[in-house]
Amino acid sequence: MKKLRLFALVAVLLACVLTRSSYLESLLNVIALQAMPAIGLALIAGYTGQISLGHAAFYGLGAYGAVLIGRALGVPAWLDVLLASAIVATLAWAIGWLVFRLKGHYLAMATLAFGIIVQVGFVELHGVTGGPNGLSDISPLSLFGHALDDDFSILPVVWIVTLAIVICSENLIASPTGLAMRAIAESETVARSVGNDVRSVKRLVMLVSGLCCALGGGLYAHYIRYLSPGPFDVGFSIKLLLMVAIGGFTDVWGVLFGVAFITLLGEVLKPLGAYDVVAYGVLLVVCVIYFPHGLLGGVAALAGRGLRIIGQGRAG
Amino acid sequence: MSDALQFLISGLVVGSIYGLIGVGFTCIYNVTGIINFAQGDFAMVGAMSAITFQTAGMPMWLAIILAIIVTCLVAAVIERSAIRPVRGDVMRGIIVTIGVGVVLQGVAAIVWGTDAQPMPVFSDEQLIHFFGATLMPQSLWVLGTATMAMVALDLLFRRTYLGQMFRACAMNPFAARLVGMKVETMSLVGFLMSGALGALAGIVVAPIALTQYDSGLQLGIKGFVACIVGGFGGPVAAAIGGIVLGILEAFATGYISSGYKNAIAFALLLGFLVFRPGGLLGEFERVRG
Repeated sequence: MKKLRLFALVAVLLACVLTRSSYLESLLNVIALQAMPAIGLALIAGYTGQISLGHAAFYGLGAYGAVLIGRALGVPAWLDVLLASAIVATLAWAIGWLVFRLKGHYLAMATLAFGIIVQVGFVELHGVTGGPNGLSDISPLSLFGHALDDDFSILPVVWIVTLAIVICSENLIASPTGLAMRAIAESETVARSVGNDVRSVKRLVMLVSGLCCALGGGLYAHYIRYLSPGPFDVGFSIKLLLMVAIGGFTDVWGVLFGVAFITLLGEVLKPLGAYDVVAYGVLLVVCVIYFPHGLLGGVAALAGRGLRIIGQGRAG
Repeated sequence: MSDALQFLISGLVVGSIYGLIGVGFTCIYNVTGIINFAQGDFAMVGAMSAITFQTAGMPMWLAIILAIIVTCLVAAVIERSAIRPVRGDVMRGIIVTIGVGVVLQGVAAIVWGTDAQPMPVFSDEQLIHFFGATLMPQSLWVLGTATMAMVALDLLFRRTYLGQMFRACAMNPFAARLVGMKVETMSLVGFLMSGALGALAGIVVAPIALTQYDSGLQLGIKGFVACIVGGFGGPVAAAIGGIVLGILEAFATGYISSGYKNAIAFALLLGFLVFRPGGLLGEFERVRG
C-alpha cells in the first residue's frame, strides 16, 4: 500500500513533467519546496504534539545560511545547502533545549517570539542579509558541471529530496523513537513513566524538523535565486500550520496533500490578491474544529455517512 | 536627563496600553483556559470602527460606545462559533484563535482597506511641558482610562460575586459546574469583557498611533508579554508587566535603535518564559513542560 502510493506519486510527477508545461513544473517545484518544512512541522506539531509558530524562521535561516555560506567559503551550491542545514539543525536542537521547558500556550508564544526575532534580524542586519532589499544574484544549483537553472532541471532534485524526507519521516515514526513521540503527544506523564526521556526526544524531533526546514530553505534560495525577508514571516509559519492541519496533523502523506491543496488554492484565489488570507483563516478554523483528522479524512467520512444514509433509506 | 524623563513618560503611556490588552488575555484565560491569539485584533476592530463611526459624523462619545459594542458582538460571535467547539483542547484552541485572528485581519483589510487611519484626539492638542519633557493630553486620557479600568477590574475580581464565580471557574470548572455555575455563560461573559477591554485599549491609543488592519498582531503579542512579565493572573500583574515592557521599549528605542524595538520585547518574552515563567509576581508552575 505504501509502496503503491510512492509509485503513484512518481507516476503523477512523470506525467506532469512529460507535458513539458513550465507552469505545471514550477507549481510542482513550489509544492516540493513547501512540503519539506511542512513535513518538518508535522513531525514536531503533529506526531509529538508540541506546537511551533516559528518554523518559517528555520526555513529562512536555511535559505539565508546557504547563500551566505556559499559566498563566504566559495563552495558549490549543493554543499552550502548541506552545511547550512547542519548548522540550522544544531540551532533547532539548541532552541529546543530552550523552549521545551515550556508547554501549551507558553511554548506557542515562545516559538512565535523566536520566529519574529529571526525575521527582525533578517530586516535589520543590513550588512549581512541586505536588509529589506534582500540578496540577489544567487547562483543556481549545479551538478556535474550542469547548471540547474530552470524548472525542468531542478524538479528531479527537489522531488528526490522531498521523497527522501517523506520516507525517512515514515521510518522515524515507525521506529521506537516514533513510538515515544506519539506517546508524548498522548500524555507526557505516561511517556515519562515508562522510561522515555521526554525532553531529549522532543529536542531530537526538533533537530530533524529544523533539518527538513533548512533543506527546503536552502534549495528554495538556489531555485528562486533572490531572497528577501518577506516570505519568512509569521504568515508563512501559520500557512505551514494550515497545511499540516489540512493533512490531519499525524499523516505525512496527508501533509503532502495539504501542501498541494493550499498551493493550488493559492493559484485559484490569485484574483483576490491580498484578501485570500480570509479564505485561509476560515479554512484553518473549519479544519481544526470539524476535520481534526484532516480534510481528506473528514470529507471521506462525510461521504461515507451520506452513502450509509442513502443505503439505509433504500433498505427501509 | 530630560531625554530619560521623556522616554519614561512615553514608556508609561505605551505600557498601560499593553497592560490593558494583557488584562483582556487574562479575562478569557481565567475562565476558558484558552489564550486568545486574536486579542490584539479586538483592539484593531475597536479602533477602526470608532474611526468609522466618528467620520460618519457621530459625536466622539457615541462613536466610542458603539465601537465597544461592535467589538463585544464580534467577541461573542467568536466565542459561540469557534471557541466553544474546541473547549479544553489547548493545541486546537491556539490554532483556532490564530485562524480567527487571520480572518479578522482579512475582513478588516476588505472593509477598511489597507491604509493606516488616524483618529482625532479626545480633547485639545495643546502640549503640556514639565521638567523639559512634553506630554500630549491624549496620553493623560490613556493613563486615566487604563488606571480606571485596572482598578475597576481588580475590584470586580476580588470583591464581587461575579468575580468570585470567575475565579471559581478558573480554579476548577468541574467543581464550579457542580455547585450550579454555568461555565458556558461565564465563558461568554469573559469574551465580552475581553472584547470591551481590547476595544477600549485600541480606541484610546488610536489618536497617538495610526491603526491599520494588521496592527493587532503586534499589540496582541506585546499584551501577552506584559502578562508574562507581570505574572499571569490579575489586572495588577498585567499592569506592572505592561509598564515594565513599555518603559524598556521606550529606552531601547531612544538609546539603541527603533528597528530592534520589537526584537527586544520578544527577547524579554523568551527570557522570562525560560528563566522565570511565573513572572515578576506569583509562581506559576503550571507552565513548565
